[in-house]
Amino acid sequence: MPLYEVGVILNAQLEDQDRAAFLGELKELLAREKATIVKEDVWGKRVLAYEIKHQREGYYVFWQYEAPGSAVKQLETKLKLSDQVLRFLHLNLDRETQRAKKMARVRAEQKAAKKAHKAKAEAAAAATAAVEGA
Amino acid sequence: MSKKKYYVKRKKTCKFTAEGIEYIDYKDIDLIRQYVPVSGKILPRRVSGTNPIYQRKLTRAIKRARMMALLPFLGD
Repeated sequence: MPLYEVGVILNAQLEDQDRAAFLGELKELLAREKATIVKEDVWGKRVLAYEIKHQREGYYVFWQYEAPGSAVKQLETKLKLSDQVLRFLHLNLDRETQRAKKMARVRAEQKAAKKAHKAKAEAAAAATAAVEGA
Repeated sequence: MSKKKYYVKRKKTCKFTAEGIEYIDYKDIDLIRQYVPVSGKILPRRVSGTNPIYQRKLTRAIKRARMMALLPFLGD
């Protein structure tokens, strides 16, 4: 199952208990969809860089979780429909790092090939030099 | 007569290549801020010296940070 990361900005004017209840609901939904939360990062209230829905502050929560894709769909639907959520962003972290890993591997291979080619050329040059010398 | 040079050209280096970073996190605002001047624009490669691969990743991270209101779309 891929590793997803979701960042949610909640309305900062929300009462603490309401916010806890809402986050609890989200967690419940994830648990129902067989997702396991790997990392939880709560930033709390933060001043937004610009106003969203006439709000200057937002309550930031980030989760990393492993889940099947269906869970993401469910969660996004819920986040979209809720009016307590100012904004959210879903990322597939596996895909982010997969590309980097693949590219690193390809580059390493290219480097190795180049090195081998160079070594071969040098060997050939040495051979011709030896022939000329003799 | 050749004009005298008034400055020493410094070699620009890519921080990401030096550290071998795989993924630039949009949440790492302190890092990203270094590549976004007060104007809010993304610092070009020719200024920052970032490797093309990392410049693309950085751009994506900056745009994500903007979406999450961590960075402004428009600066001062």
